[in-house]
Amino acid sequence: MPDSNQLLRLQIDSQLSNTTLVAMAVRGVCAMTTLSPVEINRLELCLVEIVNNAIEHAYGNEAGHPVEICVGLEKTSMSISVSDWGTSIPSDVIDSQEPEEINPDHPETWLCSGRGLHIVNKLMDDVSYETEEGKNSFIMSKALRH
Amino acid sequence: MAFETREEGVFTVVLVDESRLDASIAESFKVFLFDQIDSGKEKIVVDLSQVRFMDSSGLGSLVAGLKKTAGSGLFALASAQPAVKDLFDLTSMDKLFSLHDSVADAVQGD
Repeated sequence: MPDSNQLLRLQIDSQLSNTTLVAMAVRGVCAMTTLSPVEINRLELCLVEIVNNAIEHAYGNEAGHPVEICVGLEKTSMSISVSDWGTSIPSDVIDSQEPEEINPDHPETWLCSGRGLHIVNKLMDDVSYETEEGKNSFIMSKALRH
Repeated sequence: MAFETREEGVFTVVLVDESRLDASIAESFKVFLFDQIDSGKEKIVVDLSQVRFMDSSGLGSLVAGLKKTAGSGLFALASAQPAVKDLFDLTSMDKLFSLHDSVADAVQGD
């Protein structure tokens, strides 16, 4: 969980249709910050990718499980943790290299699976993943101008 | 209905009438696209004007449509909004797709 002055804790049931709820809530928090519209869109994308990942992979798209989102706001940074109590992400997936470069002449390079994590790694300033007592938490943060 | 089609000359225009093309509808959109292609529609333009947000799953459904038409048909995109364009850029998928400013441009080949 982010160690922050201001902390918002949200929880949804593990259904993809619920991801929009947290996306809209976090957009609301972002509106309180100095993030630009482009940065807010990108932060929403990162959040959605990680929440979807928890629903699809930790819980195998099975409804009825909790996904917890904590948003921490400080003067110089915003942090978001996405937690589940399902199957953790294998370390080789977390540490995987950049996907193969897209080549229009080679459809085998047109893969989308796994790109979500790479998008998050590229867009957020800091990313970490931890499992403690069955609780998996993907934590990401973004610096704020002040 | 979330997805609608109309004919413009030899083109089939698929309108995504949703503000979010995300994981919750990506699979049903892919099935819809595949149904169009399997029914003989060979030149498809996807109208993204209503889509304000797309995630990697939504992008995956478009890539699946592109793959299915590769070699025998045409699969173009029109009216991508800023956040959607940004996703294409971030993932380098802009190299794969014909991105047009409008459906009119797409059907004219501009």
